[in-house]
Amino acid sequence: MSLFELQVVLFTAPALPFASYSRRKKMAFIKVQKTRPYFKRFQVKFKRRREGKTDYRARNRLINQDKNKYNTPKYRFVVRFTNKDIIAQIVSASIAGDMVLASAYASELPHFGLKVGLTNYAAAYCTGLLLARRVLKKLEMDEEYQGNLDVNGEDYSVEPAESRRPFRALLDVGLLRTTTGNRVFGALKGALDGGIDIPHSEKRFAGFSKDSKQLDAEVHRKYIYGGHVAAYMTTLTEDEPEKYQSQFSLYIKTGLEAEKLEEMYKKVHAAIRADPSPKKSGKQPPKQHKRYNLKKLTYEERKARLIERLNALNAAGGNDDSEDDD
Amino acid sequence: MPAGHGLRSRTRDSFSRAFRKKGVIPLSTYLRIFKIGDYVDIKVNGAVHKGMPHKFYHGRTGRIWNVTKRAVGVEVNKQVRNKILKKRIHVRIEHVQQSRCTEEVRERIKKNDQLKADAKARGEIVSTKRQPQGPKPGFMVEGATLETVTPIPYDVVNDLKGGY
Repeated sequence: MSLFELQVVLFTAPALPFASYSRRKKMAFIKVQKTRPYFKRFQVKFKRRREGKTDYRARNRLINQDKNKYNTPKYRFVVRFTNKDIIAQIVSASIAGDMVLASAYASELPHFGLKVGLTNYAAAYCTGLLLARRVLKKLEMDEEYQGNLDVNGEDYSVEPAESRRPFRALLDVGLLRTTTGNRVFGALKGALDGGIDIPHSEKRFAGFSKDSKQLDAEVHRKYIYGGHVAAYMTTLTEDEPEKYQSQFSLYIKTGLEAEKLEEMYKKVHAAIRADPSPKKSGKQPPKQHKRYNLKKLTYEERKARLIERLNALNAAGGNDDSEDDD
Repeated sequence: MPAGHGLRSRTRDSFSRAFRKKGVIPLSTYLRIFKIGDYVDIKVNGAVHKGMPHKFYHGRTGRIWNVTKRAVGVEVNKQVRNKILKKRIHVRIEHVQQSRCTEEVRERIKKNDQLKADAKARGEIVSTKRQPQGPKPGFMVEGATLETVTPIPYDVVNDLKGGY
């Protein structure tokens, strides 16, 4: 491989695992591709890029603060979805590491009355709303900025009040594909209605139609109150009752029916607005933390283990004398 | 064809990125804050093409006189024939690092202020001036053996063997 080709490979080479090159016996007709000079010249990408978790191009643009604003923090409204949870945080960046101002998890919603469907559009709305109210309460702005009390799915932006300007954050979607109706925009809507100023456009809310280039507030309102889930529930109960039992088993267990969803969400919103502070769980942190990896052996322990293994090998070798040892 | 003298001529090595440090610029570059009056080193980052200073300023240190959205104004000394000009240039953040040239002075000032305050409390006068390193004190040489070396008599036969 000429040096030029190596350089080309460097720029386009994907992140490679560390210990893939072992000194195994070379078979005559294979040329070792990843030689020692390859590894000596290989430049790894940033750790979070190797893990596929951070988009540095987007992060740079979100974090960069005007230099003539000196230490003024630039807050990002971070929304991330896992398989069973929604994480919403207000984060500001610093050289020591990002500082989280406030956070809200969908797994906290059971305290506010939402037991099932913790990762749907409606739950994302609740999480965004919870985060917004928490931040405003922390900054003592919650009286001034009540946000949108009339949830009708229309595009709402915070009006500046007399004394302080609204709390401003920028939406950070991470590596999500921002399609219309994505749950991340449900969380965005929750935060907006909660009273945070986030620059946005209504183009990606659920219910925006590409043809008419307008947001259908009715459809958006339906999604915020879980109307799409309720519709699916009713179609399943009519057509496929067994599938309804399997899909919505937890809903059935808590006694939720398609018609009751909307009023349940209304109650959750009211509970969130009433007291958004996090509930302390009674659990104490364990005195001895659980070990997730093996403890390193001492030199004596390793030597003793080696002697044990050799003895076992010799004993076994003595017994299987007929077998051919390689 | 003669050599050109363009803006970035002769910068092949100085503006190139370091070995295995190419690609995405670490974000701490963008998180540092600069105030007017700070001293900064100018070190060009070849990956960012905007707001690059001229190659003359690469490696110079200057004071900040202006802070804008994405750049700082730096005042650098430049010798032009028989005088030194104070040149004011604007440089983007990526090409500028906080200088440590005043670090030692600032630490010493802090330490001296503390020493003086302590001495005042005790009622003594203390000199905080730095003293130059004096001549080394005298010492006895340890473990020395004496070896007398004398020249050996000149032996014509052996020295000229095979030579003449």
